[in-house]
Amino acid sequence: MKHAASPMALQAENLSVSLGQGRRLHPVLNHVDVAIHAGRWTSIVGPNGAGKSTLLRALAGLLPLQVGHVQLLGKDLATWSSRARAQTLAWLAQGGASDMGADDLLVRDVAMLGRLPHQGWLSPPSPKDLAVVEAALKKTHAWPWRDRPFGALSGGERQRVLLARLLAVQAEVLLMDEPLANLDPPHQADWIALVRDQVAEGGTVVSVLHEISMALLADDLIVMREGQVLYAGPAHQPEAHEAISAVFDHRLRIHSLGDRWVALPQ
Amino acid sequence: MWRGDFQREAKALWVALCVMTWALVGQAQPIQVVDDRGRTVVLPSPPQRVVSILPSLTETVCELQQCHRLVGVDRFSNWPASVESLPRVGGGIDPNIEAIVALRPDVVLVATSSRGTDRLESLGVRVVALEPKTHADVQRVMNTVAAVLGLPSGEAQRLWKRIEAGVDAAARSVPPTVRQTRVYFEVNRAPYAAGAASFIGETLTRLGAQNIIPPELGPFPKLNPEFVVRANPDVIMVGDRNFAGLTDRPGWSRIAAVQRQQLCVFSVDEANVIVRPGPRMAEGARLMADCLNRHLAP
Amino acid sequence: MQRTTWLAYGLFGAAAMLALLGLGVGSLGLEPIWVMLADPVAAQIVWDIRAPRTLGAWAAGALLGLAGAVAQGLFRNPLADPFLLGSASGASLAVALSLAALGVSPFAATWVIRLGLTGAAFVGAVAAVLLTLTLARGVQHTFRLLLAGVVVGMVLGALTSMVTIMVPEVLQAMQAFMLGSTGFVGWSAWSIMAVVGALCLVAAISLSKVLDGLSLGESTAQSLGLPLLPLRAALVAVIALATGTAVAQTGLIAFVGLAAPHLVRAVVKTTYSRLVGLSSLMGGLLLLSADLLARGLIAPQEIPVGVLTAILGGGYLLWLMHRRSS
Repeated sequence: MKHAASPMALQAENLSVSLGQGRRLHPVLNHVDVAIHAGRWTSIVGPNGAGKSTLLRALAGLLPLQVGHVQLLGKDLATWSSRARAQTLAWLAQGGASDMGADDLLVRDVAMLGRLPHQGWLSPPSPKDLAVVEAALKKTHAWPWRDRPFGALSGGERQRVLLARLLAVQAEVLLMDEPLANLDPPHQADWIALVRDQVAEGGTVVSVLHEISMALLADDLIVMREGQVLYAGPAHQPEAHEAISAVFDHRLRIHSLGDRWVALPQ
Repeated sequence: MWRGDFQREAKALWVALCVMTWALVGQAQPIQVVDDRGRTVVLPSPPQRVVSILPSLTETVCELQQCHRLVGVDRFSNWPASVESLPRVGGGIDPNIEAIVALRPDVVLVATSSRGTDRLESLGVRVVALEPKTHADVQRVMNTVAAVLGLPSGEAQRLWKRIEAGVDAAARSVPPTVRQTRVYFEVNRAPYAAGAASFIGETLTRLGAQNIIPPELGPFPKLNPEFVVRANPDVIMVGDRNFAGLTDRPGWSRIAAVQRQQLCVFSVDEANVIVRPGPRMAEGARLMADCLNRHLAP
Repeated sequence: MQRTTWLAYGLFGAAAMLALLGLGVGSLGLEPIWVMLADPVAAQIVWDIRAPRTLGAWAAGALLGLAGAVAQGLFRNPLADPFLLGSASGASLAVALSLAALGVSPFAATWVIRLGLTGAAFVGAVAAVLLTLTLARGVQHTFRLLLAGVVVGMVLGALTSMVTIMVPEVLQAMQAFMLGSTGFVGWSAWSIMAVVGALCLVAAISLSKVLDGLSLGESTAQSLGLPLLPLRAALVAVIALATGTAVAQTGLIAFVGLAAPHLVRAVVKTTYSRLVGLSSLMGGLLLLSADLLARGLIAPQEIPVGVLTAILGGGYLLWLMHRRSS
């Protein structure tokens, strides 16, 4: 299960999170223990309401924790300065910035937001910032639209710009919530290549994915249901497949297709 | 003797010189008044160019025979007729600072609630703020205005005596049988009424009438119309602008004043006379006395 | 980047030209300018009345435009208006209470005269914003903040109505205040607005990164290491200070804070560090133009400038809605 030699990028112990207010307070995560290995791509899967996004947010340090704590690179997340944390851990939110707040920014400005953790308060973008943003936009094939307003792009184009924003942070650990939304198959393939490149350079990627077949391409899997982790470990094990099938009430079957696995509804 | 011949002439000359000096000095004597803000305003000499942005103060200046000194008035001042030709400088709430300054006034007479006072003073214009609210105020304000204009104090007192005499005459013209009539004076449609504590209420009391609004409610209370129905006044006084629909108000047909058609509807000009606490108080009292006599004298 | 620089120069230049024109607009027309050198009263009219008034209109518009840009960024809502946090209602209530106190007792009157209506309006605006913050229990939740601001606005507005009912003499004065006017702005009032404006501009530009970060959502902004709580509080303070100062000097003037950022974004798309400054320049130009029209259209009488901005701004918003729906 655990690769004793590989260090932990993120570790969560005894995580319990409840959401909602007052009477509608309900537990979302129930004493969850999670260990994310560095230098690997981990995918979190599970049915709706399993607590996947909540777990990812907790790992990103975006939720106040009632019970339990999270460690980033061996150090308690609460002891990290927000700037150091922002430079080490980058987060891609679900939903693709659909609330129109960024519509009036140019694509290059949206990507430049990723450099905020590295910039001083009053300083304009440095030449390094500009170079990093250019590289990130080229990597997600969004460079041709760098001077177009963000609001004028389609859903898939926007998602690629947001990915570039994520890459611009140059963080060691990338946490992505539903990153494939709005992406058509060629760009989904691009995304996988991107993740593989990150991991090859020593980075860590954690993604919450709805698309099970995509998730099966990861190195490690975390399978969740109703706030609990049913399986955490390498993706290519039969126990992993069994767990996935179980959380979906066996309405799903994992099939082997050459060197990869595909999930199909029964 | 040569000296003795001219002694009388010399004395006369000396006396004349003294009187002239005294008169000149008296003329150049700076005027100092304390206005209703508690501010002491000093005028180096009697002002020749006066701007007034409160109708009652305009009327006071004119009644003191100093109308010729007015160079500008507010848009509401309309009496006497001669002020209608004067330049208008806005209203009390929104005075036109530029227009006032352009008239080069020696003093500006304003209400205490007027807005531009600080601005005018910061531009070096002398401002006297006065706002009469009760009969006692009117007398005091008249004295202050006379002092501001550099008139001998007797002038204001003479004017006041005339006004008092007029109000007394109006009171006397109301026969004892008409006294103690219960009156409701409506100021506007909300309905706001003139209570016994108001300026208008004081005049009514002088005339011997009884105000259905007790003094505890304040000078201009906003009433529940039901109150008027229950109080059942004998006479209703109201301005022409606010009269429409009054008798159709629910329940008001039962009021004695409405049933007996004892309604005094004042024209706009008449309403202006009654509502301004100024030198036309006597005329206002007379208008109200006429109303009472018309409807109630046997 | 070049386009934003052009826009900045353009807005500044247009404002400068209109400001010069403003020296010639008023109850006496151009006459005082010709006789200025010979006639000290005419000189006073031009330099002590028209000049500070014209510049004051520009400064108040700049303050409102700045507050509008910050409010729209903070609330991530293009319809956010600097008066959303209740500052307008607070200022109105304070002015109503002061006017009422003037007639109540000499003691109250001396205090009111000392503080002045402008001081009262400023205090009221800031107090209302603090009340909104208390109700919303901090600046963490944008929706709660907006809701609290609306509630505070309604309650304080109702209290203001109560004051005008109990003391009907203040009703007319309140109407004048609500309609807005630059008629009472002198050099001291202008310098207050200029100093506060400069301070708020510097603060807003240095905090503009928060506004940009927030445009991608709160979780993203948090993940980028932005200390949201203290910075949002600081931005709210900037909004309160800017609108409170403008309202204190010129009364309630609607739509400038709403329209200025929109008009800038219609020309350039840029980040908040530039938008804030451009929005100030645009707001200044807008109010300056409206003020000249207000003074000149029916001279020697004046239209209250708030009426003009409502008509012009409302018309612009209607056109915007029509364009978006079609």
